[in-house]
Amino acid sequence: MNTEEERAEIWLDSFKIEYGKKMRLYELASSPRILAERFSCYYEKAAAIVGEKTARKMADALRDSDDLAKLAETYKRKGITLVPYSSSLYPEDLRQIPEPPLVLYCKGDINLLRGRKFAIVGSRRTAQPIMKITERFAEELSKHFIIVSGMAEGGDTAAIQGALPSGRVISVLAYGFNYVYPECNRRLLERVAEKGLLISEYPPDTEPRAYLFPERNRIIAGICDGVLVVSGGEKSGTRITADLAVQYGRDVFAFPYSVGTASGAGCNAIIKEYAKLTDNLVDITDAFGINLTETDEISLTPAERAVYEALREGEAHLMEISERTGLKVHELPAILTLLEMKNMVVSCGGNKYAAIR
Amino acid sequence: MLSKVTSFSLAGLEGIPVEVETDINNGLPAYDLVGLPDAAVKESRERVRSALKNSGRKFPVQKITVNLAPADLKKEGSYFDLAIAVGILKATEQLPGADIAEIVFLGELALSGALRPVAGILPLLISAKAKGYKTFIVPAANAKEASYIAGITTYAAENLQQVIAHLTNETRMSALTVCEYTGTEGEPCRYDMAFVKGQPVAKRALEIAVGGGHNLLLVGPPGTGKTMLARCIPTIMPDMTFEEALEVTKIHSVAGVLGGEGIVRVRPFRSPHHTATTVSMCGGGNRIVKPGEISLAHGGVLFLDEMPEYHRSTLEALRQPLEDGVITVTRSGGAYTFPANFMLCASMNPCPCGNYGSSDKICTCTPAAIHKYRSRVSGPLLDRIDIQVEVDSVKYEDLVSEGREESSADVKKRVERVRAIQRQRFAGIEGVHTNADMGEREMRMFCALSRECENILKMSFERLKLSARARSRLIKVARTIADLAGEERIRPEHLLEAVSYRNYDSMNG
Repeated sequence: MNTEEERAEIWLDSFKIEYGKKMRLYELASSPRILAERFSCYYEKAAAIVGEKTARKMADALRDSDDLAKLAETYKRKGITLVPYSSSLYPEDLRQIPEPPLVLYCKGDINLLRGRKFAIVGSRRTAQPIMKITERFAEELSKHFIIVSGMAEGGDTAAIQGALPSGRVISVLAYGFNYVYPECNRRLLERVAEKGLLISEYPPDTEPRAYLFPERNRIIAGICDGVLVVSGGEKSGTRITADLAVQYGRDVFAFPYSVGTASGAGCNAIIKEYAKLTDNLVDITDAFGINLTETDEISLTPAERAVYEALREGEAHLMEISERTGLKVHELPAILTLLEMKNMVVSCGGNKYAAIR
Repeated sequence: MLSKVTSFSLAGLEGIPVEVETDINNGLPAYDLVGLPDAAVKESRERVRSALKNSGRKFPVQKITVNLAPADLKKEGSYFDLAIAVGILKATEQLPGADIAEIVFLGELALSGALRPVAGILPLLISAKAKGYKTFIVPAANAKEASYIAGITTYAAENLQQVIAHLTNETRMSALTVCEYTGTEGEPCRYDMAFVKGQPVAKRALEIAVGGGHNLLLVGPPGTGKTMLARCIPTIMPDMTFEEALEVTKIHSVAGVLGGEGIVRVRPFRSPHHTATTVSMCGGGNRIVKPGEISLAHGGVLFLDEMPEYHRSTLEALRQPLEDGVITVTRSGGAYTFPANFMLCASMNPCPCGNYGSSDKICTCTPAAIHKYRSRVSGPLLDRIDIQVEVDSVKYEDLVSEGREESSADVKKRVERVRAIQRQRFAGIEGVHTNADMGEREMRMFCALSRECENILKMSFERLKLSARARSRLIKVARTIADLAGEERIRPEHLLEAVSYRNYDSMNG
């Protein structure tokens, strides 16, 4: 069902050749199809790029066309769909970036590749309230966009969790599908594969390696229309994603942080340079011409209102809330739990709470 | 000539009568001790010989055979010294006119003839009394302990000479007068809630936990007073009744950790170190099966400081006793059941570095490290801990502030009130004393939930991602909170407060 062209791309991608060399091979002939058809003519040049051994393997694979068919069959059995560069499914936005992946390995709902996408990324150290806010943003934005993120703990996890109920979520991995990383997100990874879509540029047996993550970030930045950076230090992976996104001409949004917050220094830095300071959903939806229908007003009892207002002054300990509202300390847990269920506040650990709306 | 003296041996908390038979025959001087004695019992020969000599009596230069019956029961410890000495005296007719048939002799002999105390006097006397024995001679050092048992005649002797004088009617000892149990009145408290500054949440949680007999987990940075709070738990628990005190004393007596007081008045507080082995926790031992920490904490508090540091197997071993309130230690020699109805109070840091959630210190742990640390405590065990609260890091100003804090005595009054409510509620239901003990049947009877409450429960499960297992625990805690508020029915705010004490579950998410 793949075209000749697509098959040739899959063939070219199936040998562990690093991206630069792959591209040089790609450029040898006018297209991978031509390269494959006349590989014997290009053999010498190909061997010069990838070495004799790999070149011979490539030639062997071509000679025995069953091999490729078998490979496709194994992928299919594992539920993996290959989307090569020239496929009609390949996202147009991604095709436009300077170094597009040759083949996308996909697991899950392949139709999510079509449609408008928005990336939400964050660092692994994301404060509890920000996690909750990120979740809510992802949930809301998933009504208008397909949410794209990585799979790390922290900000990425929150974004995926927010969007997962709608199923409109894509997680871009920096390793092959045979691996799980981080281990604590195993369940989440499975659920994204069930309800959403997992994408990787790498064949299934590619181990997670530190240098693969920045490479992966270009896919996140390239596949989406806009990026929201929810947290990130001065030199973090999210910073790379944001820088790439702005190079590709995407809109970049970032949460502001107060002075001296290490986990948000990167956010503040990109706000200074190019990102749009974002503290509510409208900041994002306006940029895309989406008219956000305000969610229904949440009804609060006077006591709940008082506690909520007290928390809007800033993160506070139970004792402080008690001082601000005049309510007794032991009355507060019940009220705060209710507010937490209404998604208005979040517990930050150490008996402290923060408003997230 | 043959003589028979009664003594007792201990198996677990149970006393077993042992007949000490002594036979003196003409022949080559020898001393044979039969009836499965252990080393300590065998060595009694030397102690008895010297004690007799130093008490002005003769150790016969004849063939002596001592049999400890029943012959198939292993005899351990030094309970039989006195009985053997008396047996030899009787058999050699050095006790003219003495009637020893009705008397139970217990005690270890020193070479000088003085009587040394033995462990487990209280459970021995209780078992013996139940078996119909009426008169006892025990070491003077065990007198306090023995004096709490009414309905028997107990003589406490300083040394063998006193016993001999008593038996031969030269100088009769006077029987011990029965001691009145007085509870903890007048006991000075080393710990008091009034000394704990701040911590309103933790204090409230303590009150609820004790009120309903729930287990408690304190999560907080190092040095925030988790241990101090835990130490306060016995001070707000209701006083032990005499029966409870006796039960606790029995265990402490067997373990040989009973103080000079003779009875355990204050609820025990045990805090075994995290290197504790499973055997030291649950009880056991290769010769004498002794109660472990969980039994020593019976009726009181078992405090596990830094819970994730304990051996996994040790923690898992707690699960069954937490449900049943007893532990059965099974060894090749037999199975011994010890009571182990304790309140579990555990403490832990929120993360390996301890600063997660702290306002002034930065947590340096990665999420994976935190996850790993927390997962060291298994879900099933965590499930048995109904209340999980965070302890605040204390600011310096709070420490030196003069604000008055509520004292333990005040809190205790409230606790006693809710316990009274529960006693009334569960009157006539076997094995259920507190809200935490409730089974499904009792919960259906006493914890009816309104539609509003059901909705809240449903919402909390969805929103806060609580485990389904937590449901009944939540309702039980809500029941206690309602009791504290003096309410007949569980109201939404009670349930919500209970939900707020499942913090840790949602943190684990």
